[in-house]
Amino acid sequence: MNKIHKINKKPPPIATLNSKNLLSIEGMNKLEINSLLDRADYFADLDPLKIIKTLNGYVILNVFFENSTRTRVSFELAGRRLGAEVINISVEKSSIKKGESLLDTANTLSAMKPNLLIVRHPESGAPKLFSDYLNCSIVNAGDGRHEHPTQALLDALTIRRRLGRIEGLKIAICGDILNSRVARSNIHLLTTLGVEVRCIAPPTLMPKSLENLGVNCFNSLKDGINNVNAIMLLRLQNERMSGTESPSKREYYRFYGLDEEKLSMAHHDAVIMHPGPMNRGVEIASSLADNEDRSLIKTQVEIGVAIRMATIEAVYNAQK
Amino acid sequence: MHKNNNPILLKNIRVIDACQNLDQKMNITVNNGIISYFENSKKNIPFNEKDFKSVNCKDKILSPGIFDLRVYLNETNNENVSILKNAAVKSGVFKMGILPFQKPLLDNPIMIEHLIEKTNFNNDKFFYPYGGATKELKGNEIAELGLMAEVGAIGFTDAPNCIQDSLVMRRVMSYAKMLEKPILQNPEDKSLAGLTASNSTTIQGEMNEGEVSTRLGLVGIPSCAEVMIVERDLRLAELTGVHYHVSNVSTKETVEVIKRAKLNGIKITCDTSPPYFSLNELELSTYDTSFKLSPPLRNEEDRIAIQNAIFDNTIDVITSDHKPMSNDTKILPFTSASTGASGIETLLPLTLNLLNKSDVSIMNILKKITLNPSKLLKVEIPKIKSNEKANFIIFDPNEQYLINKDSLHTSPTPFHGRPVQGKNYMSMMNGEIVFDNLDLL
Repeated sequence: MNKIHKINKKPPPIATLNSKNLLSIEGMNKLEINSLLDRADYFADLDPLKIIKTLNGYVILNVFFENSTRTRVSFELAGRRLGAEVINISVEKSSIKKGESLLDTANTLSAMKPNLLIVRHPESGAPKLFSDYLNCSIVNAGDGRHEHPTQALLDALTIRRRLGRIEGLKIAICGDILNSRVARSNIHLLTTLGVEVRCIAPPTLMPKSLENLGVNCFNSLKDGINNVNAIMLLRLQNERMSGTESPSKREYYRFYGLDEEKLSMAHHDAVIMHPGPMNRGVEIASSLADNEDRSLIKTQVEIGVAIRMATIEAVYNAQK
Repeated sequence: MHKNNNPILLKNIRVIDACQNLDQKMNITVNNGIISYFENSKKNIPFNEKDFKSVNCKDKILSPGIFDLRVYLNETNNENVSILKNAAVKSGVFKMGILPFQKPLLDNPIMIEHLIEKTNFNNDKFFYPYGGATKELKGNEIAELGLMAEVGAIGFTDAPNCIQDSLVMRRVMSYAKMLEKPILQNPEDKSLAGLTASNSTTIQGEMNEGEVSTRLGLVGIPSCAEVMIVERDLRLAELTGVHYHVSNVSTKETVEVIKRAKLNGIKITCDTSPPYFSLNELELSTYDTSFKLSPPLRNEEDRIAIQNAIFDNTIDVITSDHKPMSNDTKILPFTSASTGASGIETLLPLTLNLLNKSDVSIMNILKKITLNPSKLLKVEIPKIKSNEKANFIIFDPNEQYLINKDSLHTSPTPFHGRPVQGKNYMSMMNGEIVFDNLDLL
């Protein structure tokens, strides 16, 4: 079993946010990010039965315009552990197409006076639109290709607990960066915390001017992961691998799929992460995915609940 | 419309009429809608001023009404037509080229005839329709260009669509050449301007490709998608000899290619609209959908290139590219929101704003919204001279104010809250004062 590194001995205070919303990592400062990580680190080790339910009566609507299991359940569990009431609403795209506009839907929900809306939407910027028109807090649970802030936070805490620090690390993000909100949030978070970030993708999946975000870009996985401390793999959707962005699954796996051989280029105790769901044999060799010494994939899910607890609590605090 | 029978004397007004190459301080009288006296202000007035309603116009400019090359009507219902007319006369726009993209489409002679009959009044020709270049503006089959020309189509275009197929473009061009009408293209290589999500579906590009699109996670349109089509079209224009017009030039590269083509003697003209010389892609940083335009707002380097191309006359015409959208279609996430913005009401002040950016003459700037579009479409602008019906606007080129979306008739505007300079004070069309802020009535 690997040792868990704890930064704090005493319970840290509730995290402080400069806004009552969490829409993106871009724009957040080091203090905000670290206060969330510290608080979540504390939650991660607490027995769920012993958590003081400080958010009694607080109403959270989980509004998901896109399918999701892990993120929705993670937010739901986080809210409930703090004593809040969490109601799941999955808004099918079709009911929007029936004529009700997004804002009408939002206003209807808002009339029920929730304290917090957790929004996932297939379009970039949709949570921002909610925040422009609604009074309650908004937490972005993933919007289009834009950001997925809580995923980046949980990734960072997972790394910190395993490697003992974040600043000064070398971390690679590999895969479909063009279409990934997880990549964007991670880039902003890791660069803010002083990580050397390397983005690895075939040219067809590398967004334009990405280096302006303060990262180094590589088309070669072997070059990119040279001596890195962690590798974050991204999911590549099947429909992108039949001649559009990538010629075939097997070609992608040959050049970008992580296996033992390619991993040997990285730092000797480098860890592997994936936001899930993963495609075994495409982004990652099945044996690596199951290698608990290297793969933090399960830990990521576990830490996710703690991060979302810290987020909900911080947003609640910022509303006061 | 107001009848005005009191004779008017406009004193010391600066007349700038690009059509007559005239820039002079003058005294002018209008009697029963006819210009009765039109002389240099240094000359003594040979009549009794007291018989006239006299206005000292020493800070104002008198010019022919604006000719707006490209305007979308969206729907030919009475309401839309009258909103557009009111907005136009108030803003000094007297003639408009109406694009075929509306409900129903102007891709056949019946609709062209209908639009002309329905929308022109008092023998004033306000609206000049373009015919669709291809059936349903789909870019596959040539529309009835000859029949449409016969009933008054002034040119052909599929705007806002771009004709992608080279053979179709060649055929349309050779027809337009035979009919001696210009062909207008909104250049954008569609396959390059989107993102292939799978083998069957393509997501349309939403903004300029670059750092901002990367940060926002919006689908980028590379700027070369514009110039590639212009380069292809130029070959076809050479082949067919047609008058080829590029609509809404938005990139530095397109400017360079057009400049070269003009030097090579190809019959090419082009236009741009105020967003492309006033704004850049950074405006989209907050997902504000009033900046969702086609072509997309480009980077600052492009904006400067467009501005300079206006000054060096590579760009011939400034048009509003007026495409009003209901607010309901704009209060949506960026991807779902409609593309386009109103423009006719802000065309004059934003164009005059260019005067602060260079020592370009006001005559040269006014040409691009009066004489040049009239020459391009071979539609005459009424002369400003004695014994002619009064047809002009009077504006103050120096008045400064902020554009306010709530005081505009059409929406949305990407210029809300922006400081501008220059305001229309009076519109006199066909002898009638149709808009008056000079207290003449």
